[in-house]
Amino acid sequence: MAPTLILLIIGVPWAGALLIWWIGDTRSHLQHTLAVLFSLAAAVASILLIPFAQSGTALTLPVGGVFGDFTFVADGMGIFLAAIAAIIGCFAVIFSVNYMHGEAQLGRYYALVLFFIGAMAGLVLASSLLLMFFFWEITALCSYALIAFNNDDPKAVYGGIKALLMTQLGGIGLLVGAILAYSNLGSYDLNLFIKNSGSLPAGALAVAAFGFLIAAAAKSAQFPFQTWLPDAMEAPTPISALIHAATMVNAGVYLLARFYPAFESVPGWKITVVIVGVITALLAGMMALVSNDLKRVLAYSTVSQLGYMVYAIGAGGIFASQFHLLSHSIFKALLFLAAGAVIHSIGTRDMRLMGALGRQMPVTRTVFVIGALALAGIPILNGFWSKELILEAGLLHGPVWAYAIMVFTAGLTALYTFRCVWMVFYGKARSSLHGHDAGIMMKFALIPLAFGALTTWILAGPFSHLLETSLPFHEIEAATTMRFIQEVISAPATLVALGAIALGLAAWWQRENLASLTRAFQGIGKAAEKSFGFEAINTAVTTAFEQGAETLRNTQTGLLSWNILGILAGLIIVLAILAAGG
Amino acid sequence: MTFILIAAGAIICAVMAIRAGRLLTSALWLAATSALVALLMYMLGAPEVAVIELSVGAGLVTILFVFAINISGEEATNLKSALPKPLAWVSILIFFILLGYFSLPAFLQPLPEAQIIPLKTVLWEYRSLDVVLQAVLIFAGVLGLIGLLAEEKPGQEKEHQA
Amino acid sequence: MTLSISEIILITVILLLGIGFYGLLAVRNLIKVIVSLQIMVKGMMLGFVLAGRLAGNVSLGQSLAILVIVVDTIVAIIGLALAVQIRRYAGSLDVKALTTLKR
Repeated sequence: MAPTLILLIIGVPWAGALLIWWIGDTRSHLQHTLAVLFSLAAAVASILLIPFAQSGTALTLPVGGVFGDFTFVADGMGIFLAAIAAIIGCFAVIFSVNYMHGEAQLGRYYALVLFFIGAMAGLVLASSLLLMFFFWEITALCSYALIAFNNDDPKAVYGGIKALLMTQLGGIGLLVGAILAYSNLGSYDLNLFIKNSGSLPAGALAVAAFGFLIAAAAKSAQFPFQTWLPDAMEAPTPISALIHAATMVNAGVYLLARFYPAFESVPGWKITVVIVGVITALLAGMMALVSNDLKRVLAYSTVSQLGYMVYAIGAGGIFASQFHLLSHSIFKALLFLAAGAVIHSIGTRDMRLMGALGRQMPVTRTVFVIGALALAGIPILNGFWSKELILEAGLLHGPVWAYAIMVFTAGLTALYTFRCVWMVFYGKARSSLHGHDAGIMMKFALIPLAFGALTTWILAGPFSHLLETSLPFHEIEAATTMRFIQEVISAPATLVALGAIALGLAAWWQRENLASLTRAFQGIGKAAEKSFGFEAINTAVTTAFEQGAETLRNTQTGLLSWNILGILAGLIIVLAILAAGG
Repeated sequence: MTFILIAAGAIICAVMAIRAGRLLTSALWLAATSALVALLMYMLGAPEVAVIELSVGAGLVTILFVFAINISGEEATNLKSALPKPLAWVSILIFFILLGYFSLPAFLQPLPEAQIIPLKTVLWEYRSLDVVLQAVLIFAGVLGLIGLLAEEKPGQEKEHQA
Repeated sequence: MTLSISEIILITVILLLGIGFYGLLAVRNLIKVIVSLQIMVKGMMLGFVLAGRLAGNVSLGQSLAILVIVVDTIVAIIGLALAVQIRRYAGSLDVKALTTLKR
């Protein structure tokens, strides 16, 4: 049963993608219906797969002797990420029915979305490193194509190409690691790799470890690659929800968590992961505080929350990071889709033009506030429990300074979240824009997600059990939900974190009285608006490349015969070197 | 002796295909090359691939060539080479010498008796990924062809003429 | 001096490759470029069969040759379709007319 379901999760969206592309844009109603049906089928298949969790290979596709077999696993981590991809993807598709109503080129849109969902499920279920790399690159390709979906808008194309370049750069790290593993073990199987990682030469293992870290950082928009995700905001909003919650950015965290047992012993690796996570969380939190674009605030908050997950992995809290990933997927999908409803109804993303929208769109306001509270880490909502687990893991196994910064960032999170909610839904109306509430299909997507943000923390016990039984190398301890609740409530860390969050809130209520303090920090604010100079570095690198390419252009005649001569010359040089070398 | 004759024939046909003045003649010489190469392969003990080469390489591709030449029309083909001729000759000569230097010694051994592993075992079991890839390639080729030869929409045609 | 069968075939392979390469260098008509490409690929195909024969596993050589045939046919088809489109678009099959990307 499990093999069939794995094939279904990957195959159904891909088949749907082909079909929707094929029926053409003239029948948009049919396209909407089919997209929802296919994504729903994938989501159902992914839920059905959960009881079949097992360690070891679940499905083998023989492809001849050269590359090894293409294998898939159905262990807890893979299944749960595939389920997130399929379910959140399904909500994004349902939401799109209203959001994309009447847009042109729906075929391309839905085909890419479904292709994306299938590829992400394949990425987390594949157990052959080579196959994983294929899926990795497919997700990069899909994200590029979807970010640049409005391809007559130069900003969208710029964002898409930026995402593609950065994630491709990271993909090289993954490929290097996979090839090193293959050359030393003679197999691409990742469980074999994790089990026998000790038998690799220390140097090779270290290169693989840092290669994977680069790949994960690029994919999850971690420091120093964090700049692509905010520019990806040019995409249609359901795509942002998809990229931020269901697919793409989760892949980096997944990669680190999956290979944590293999790289744990590499000197300096864990602390590097912690540093990457801490820097990312802090910088992104500050940038979120000064941004005025609703989607950018959410994008920076994603980067910041991913920083939390990466930090947890560095501190050894695999369960905490995966649990926060689950919570984050739900509340971030909720926030993005709710923001999409706002943007769809008033037509701007600038928060300075919003305000007092709560009365015009009560449902959207309610679900957005639920999501925001979860993001800020207010008790009872799912974000609270998972963030506390992360901080606790960090305090137990990580350095204290990192813990202190993360607690500070938790306060910062509360501050920017409330700033955002206030500017959009409360306060005085700052323009005459008039909003209407979310459409019926939008509500279909928003309300279950809001319900999820309120309740998924109850799953902590079963979830830990699922991970423990099917992941033999990760040493995850299962416990009941009650046990987790006791642990979180009784830990002193919780009070510290809650205090920080409360301070963040207080800072927002007292913002007028703190005006002098704000002015003192204006320098940081200015730097944060310019994303701390990382944009400048990016620009410098691309300009240097462009100038170099422009210089090299003189060597090109553009004439086929000369190009062929170049190829022939290359062949002759290779042969000559071989001849000289004997 | 038959080998030498057929091989020489294949090479002469190839040279004529390059030298031919008209495109149609060139395509026909190519078909002859293909047929002779297929014959050589048959004599080497590879009948299956010889049959495929004869039908696809000599048959289908030639038809496609004739078709394409029909559509695009004959053109004066004996234009002066874009590259200085001596340069082309010299590089090809170096290529011949180097390749010959490398491969001839390795091939001095007599041909061993052909082992009997049925083609279908190799094709479907050892190299099944190849078969999958071929299917994908054919699919992609068909899609590309449809895209390229699609009738232009009325709106686009105007742009082209303008 | 008598040549063994494998030497004859090998020389044929090298010569076919060289002729194809020369064609690519010297020819300016797009359709003839594709003809030259085909000649090179024919040489390669023969080379695969010969190598399979020498290694004592003709079937492996054959299966590779079949892959080459498939790829080669698709290259020819797409190349010819491109040539037809270029003829429509640029009005000529001359490769010298195709340097507009440079400018």
